[in-house]
Amino acid sequence: MIMNDLFNVFCRELQRMNSRRIYWVACLVLPLFSLVFMATIFGDGQMKDLPIGVVDEDNTSASRHIVRMVDATPELHVTQHFANETGARKAMQKKEIYGYLLIPSKITSLCYYYHNAMLSVGGELRSTFETILQEVSVTPIVTEAIGLGENESTLTSFLMPVSETEYPTYNDTRNYAVYLSQPFFFVFLQILLLLVTTYALGSESKFGTSDEWLESAKGNMGIAVMGKLLPYTLIFITISIFANVVFFKWMQIPLPCSLWTINGVTILFICATQALALFLYAIFPALSLIISVASMVGSLGATLSGVTFPVLFMDTPVYGASFLFPIRHFVEVVQSLLYLDGTFADYWPNITILLIVCILPIVLLPRLKHALITHKYDSIE
Amino acid sequence: MYSPNVLREVPMVVVDESHTPLSRQYIRLLDATPQVHVQGVIADMPQAHERMKEGKATGIVFLPEDFETKVSRGEESVFVSYNTTMAFLSYATIKEATSGAMLALDTSVRPNQVVFLDADVVQPVVNTPSIPVQGIALYNENGGYATYLIPSVLMVIIFQTMLMVISMQCGKEYELQIRPFWSATNYNSSWGWAISMVIGKSVVYVGFYALFSVFLLGLLPLVFDLPHLASPLLLVQLLTPYLFGTAFFGLACSPFFKDSDAPLLLIAFFSVGLLFLSGISWPLELMPWPWRLLHCLIPAPVGVLAFVKANSMGADLSDISREMMLLWGQCVGYFVLACWGYKRKCHP
Repeated sequence: MIMNDLFNVFCRELQRMNSRRIYWVACLVLPLFSLVFMATIFGDGQMKDLPIGVVDEDNTSASRHIVRMVDATPELHVTQHFANETGARKAMQKKEIYGYLLIPSKITSLCYYYHNAMLSVGGELRSTFETILQEVSVTPIVTEAIGLGENESTLTSFLMPVSETEYPTYNDTRNYAVYLSQPFFFVFLQILLLLVTTYALGSESKFGTSDEWLESAKGNMGIAVMGKLLPYTLIFITISIFANVVFFKWMQIPLPCSLWTINGVTILFICATQALALFLYAIFPALSLIISVASMVGSLGATLSGVTFPVLFMDTPVYGASFLFPIRHFVEVVQSLLYLDGTFADYWPNITILLIVCILPIVLLPRLKHALITHKYDSIE
Repeated sequence: MYSPNVLREVPMVVVDESHTPLSRQYIRLLDATPQVHVQGVIADMPQAHERMKEGKATGIVFLPEDFETKVSRGEESVFVSYNTTMAFLSYATIKEATSGAMLALDTSVRPNQVVFLDADVVQPVVNTPSIPVQGIALYNENGGYATYLIPSVLMVIIFQTMLMVISMQCGKEYELQIRPFWSATNYNSSWGWAISMVIGKSVVYVGFYALFSVFLLGLLPLVFDLPHLASPLLLVQLLTPYLFGTAFFGLACSPFFKDSDAPLLLIAFFSVGLLFLSGISWPLELMPWPWRLLHCLIPAPVGVLAFVKANSMGADLSDISREMMLLWGQCVGYFVLACWGYKRKCHP
């Protein structure tokens, strides 16, 4: 009986979806677009051949050797030579180059300039320059000592008694595609899902069909909501699983756990995001207002997911607020799985919160039903 | 939201198997850097990994048993830093600190190491100076995250909200089948009517958003201490094609706005994508060409880039000529498209 009603609402929703193009655009075209976007925008994911300039005031074989050493690093590519710094600064402002190396005459010092208005590029330039110029800076000593017959390895350990080996965990080549593609695809998806869910719910009162909707569920609000949202849940879960396959199988982003663990977490995340949209809508069931709220919540999720700027370092109120966003918990669980070989013992709090978010809207269903029956929010614009 | 702006005191743990004055000196040096904070010295690696899992540490430095022995034998002593790549920002911060502390340690240890060199080499080596190296950040000097991202977000906000307003209005007109009060019969040609509709509407939007921009781009950066290098004149020169381009772009899309809420859904979705396309995070040069092309076709990414160049980097009009040309090109292109769209509305 209940299953029958659920099936009725489900079929009714499929018909509604089929009647308007917007649903297919929002449920298929845009998710697939974001998948292609995130999977391809980083190219091969390595910052390489970043255009830089050189101001070589020394212009001797020694300085040209330094320039060649810099050019030989995979990250940097010397595209322009300038007679003076003014020209280099100008090219920086035009963003033709992302940095430049200044070699004064007699090579009395080495000074590199990097572009920090584009933070990620600037950081890359700084660390590359730092590493290569460290090597260059001791060349006079090395040349001198080796000329005098000193053993090279003795010299190295003299110059650098202590040195560092680095093991970047998980993403050892610091590939941007590995870092950003997967989390940001889901950031996009949650924005879309929040909006689609709100729109699907709100369009009933907008087009004056809420009575018909309740009727098809025989007045059972729980059935009405579940049947209505189920098609979207299924579509978005399918797309998410497909996306995970694309990321972890096709693009070969390293996956230390099983694909099904990730998929399981993803399914829970999809349900929690929909529940959040339902919750927001039930608080104030007026479409035009709530759709703005939903788009704001979605965009904030991009920041508060903590993918680019770690949430821990934001101000305490913001840090606290971030726990309200399903995307934050999803990102934390996935990071724990991918980066830290986490087990359930490590991320159960996140899972618990996602589960709580899933059941949260139940308390507001009576309110939503009341609003639908009385139509009191229908005319709010 | 990004109010700390830069990462400071990132928590780290150290696994010290050496237990020597030298290892303790390194730990002190590391802790003294503003970038990281040494949370604790842990007995072994598994425990340190546990700390990372709990989220209490972002990186581990491992100082091996022979850390000091090797130095005192004149060999190169290597320590290991396990650095998380979970957020590249913390990665870079930690790296800066560990290698900074290493260089400081090297400098203080080096004089003792002279004994390991051949006697006749010592004097020339000590007398040969190394070349001093200096790195200088241009623009956004202290590497702040808010100062990097927020100016771009402001530009995207202008674009997105204007599109939303246009879509809501056009959607409403379509829903209610409002005939434009300016009847087409007054005009001889439908093109004339379309052109005056498009110009009339966009002047209203642009006028309204010009005020809004004064607040958003003029006032906010002052209040929140964001970069504001561009002269008001340059901003006007930049915003004129940007706002008109956005308005025409919106009106050109208007035939698709048949509902006052559905377009909102589509527009809101693209915000983060537009930021990516602007090339301020991932350099434009490294994007595959279809995305570079898309970058050129939409006002927002081009406008963001021009604004960042002018406002954060102090570029003048000639430095942003490429972006200006693109923006004016878009203005013309979308104006024609918008008129064509309206002409079709006139004679469906």
